[in-house]
Amino acid sequence: MMAAFDILAFGACSFVAVAGALGMATTMSMFRSGIFLMASFIGVAGLFILLSADLIGLLQVMMYIGGFLVMILFMVLVMHDPGGAMMAGMELSPLERWFSKGLVPRDEATSAGQDDPASGEGRSHAGNRHEGHAMPHGEGRHGHARDHGGGAMPHGAHGGHAEHRHADHQHGDGGHGGMDMSMVTPVRPLAAWLAAAAGVVLVGMLFLRPAWPVTDAVPDPDSARRVGNLLMDKYMVAFEGAGFLILIGIFGAVLLARPSTHPDDPSRAAKAAVDAKPEAIRDDRLAPLAEAGGAPEPEHHGSHHGHEDHVG
Amino acid sequence: MGVAAALAVLGALLGGAALTLAVEHAFVRIDQEAGPARHTELRHNLQLPNADRWLLPAGPVVALAGVALAMVVLPLGPGLIGRDLGIGLFYVIVVVDFVVLGLALAGWGANTPEGVEACYRIVAQLVAYVVPLGLAYVGVIMMARSLSTVVVVDAQRGLWFVVLQPLGFLLYVVTGLMQSYRAPFLEPFAASLGGGVLGVVGGWSALVWRVALAGVLLVVAAVGAVLYLGGSSGPWLPGWAWMLAKTYGLMALMLGLGRLVRPLSTAETLALSWKILIPLGLVNVLLVGGLILLGVGPGA
Repeated sequence: MMAAFDILAFGACSFVAVAGALGMATTMSMFRSGIFLMASFIGVAGLFILLSADLIGLLQVMMYIGGFLVMILFMVLVMHDPGGAMMAGMELSPLERWFSKGLVPRDEATSAGQDDPASGEGRSHAGNRHEGHAMPHGEGRHGHARDHGGGAMPHGAHGGHAEHRHADHQHGDGGHGGMDMSMVTPVRPLAAWLAAAAGVVLVGMLFLRPAWPVTDAVPDPDSARRVGNLLMDKYMVAFEGAGFLILIGIFGAVLLARPSTHPDDPSRAAKAAVDAKPEAIRDDRLAPLAEAGGAPEPEHHGSHHGHEDHVG
Repeated sequence: MGVAAALAVLGALLGGAALTLAVEHAFVRIDQEAGPARHTELRHNLQLPNADRWLLPAGPVVALAGVALAMVVLPLGPGLIGRDLGIGLFYVIVVVDFVVLGLALAGWGANTPEGVEACYRIVAQLVAYVVPLGLAYVGVIMMARSLSTVVVVDAQRGLWFVVLQPLGFLLYVVTGLMQSYRAPFLEPFAASLGGGVLGVVGGWSALVWRVALAGVLLVVAAVGAVLYLGGSSGPWLPGWAWMLAKTYGLMALMLGLGRLVRPLSTAETLALSWKILIPLGLVNVLLVGGLILLGVGPGA
């Protein structure tokens, strides 16, 4: 009974770990990618718990949930297409398609019949056109995020959008459109072979070194106490040193986030967080709220503009 | 035996969540924001055109799983516990994080501007509460000298920790409200966002969210009762009755106190956390350490 449960749990945890890693590398949505990586590490945490290292397992779960949610926010901040809504409509390999299932490609409204990936164009050509097309969408999102931060200026999205576009032009307009999409990255086959080779080597080591020492000593049930004693005793310098480094990091963050003493540098201008009520949204096909009003949906706004720019 | 315990834990969660919802509704008036207790449509499903069809339904399931896992280590009475883990309190902190993960998944997956904004606020609130919450646990753990919930309850047979550590209790009440998204900290579910994640659900997912969000409050109150109010110990009445009374008493206290303050925005919540609660928590740890050195407390 117990052995069957162990095998079942091992199978489930290792499946989550492997499938999560695979999904992380192949899905089109950055947000999903982060979630898949988190799932993979939680699967590994399950393996730790199966090995009676429950403290390590729980520490891993805690670090990866909290840490990855924050990391995903930073990815959303800097990525062009964090939701994968645009790339999901492109030509994908079966694996990519499977892990991107359920993503709704956002092309029916804004690019009706213009950039259809299935319209018989050559693959690279279609890719390129999509890349060119891709930018305005991404910027629409940026404009949106900006608008929330910058309060309720009706044309906040507009301004942010133009600025972004300018910034992107420097590396954006040359050939690839600056969008390092996974499906056009030339090193990807190489990376896949490298990963496969590493996997073969690891599995080979498993077979070539079959004499694993097996002990039937019961692990310490009060591992937290033992770990705590070690941290405060034998490894105290390293532990306190790490704490000191984190403290320095916090100081650095506070220093960087401080309002600037160089007011002429626009990137360091103090961006006060205005606590305004978020704008109501139109055109999201939901039931209208009681207090619908305010500016048009920034995301929509941005994408429309980008589209026009692109066509013109 | 394992199956029976799992079913019992699930039953305790469902019954507790229903009772929690009833208590919660007693504290919401018409002119106030209901936050996570807001009305949701259970009879109709809601179709979102741009939703991520994996993440959106995954959200409530992950959140409910987190709450159910947390219920396992709660000692509802002498012997009434799913499993007494050696690191029980740390386990509670960790698995309640799955609720945050579920809310973030659903908020992003809904793919409406309100949902995504709710996702951001949820993560910001996690950053706000997680450190002071841990500090509120630490004082108790120092005195009880164990992470096990049963040992913590046993350590308070003579004197409840709320008497020895009033500052820690206060800290726990505030961070507990943050953790369960109740009254002053309901910005992720604000009416200006159309209810955040709860505004984009319907049908079965609304029901699961209802149970999960009520369950978070239940877990927070029950853990507070274990940490500071002596859990199931008390005279005359059986243990489970004391635990029930303490849990819902603490819940009513938290909800009532929360309604006395105006709702705080996410930025204000973060400022409160980092500028006031974390220093307060460190002071609490120092005070508790001093008390232990002076020989006050159990086992001294």
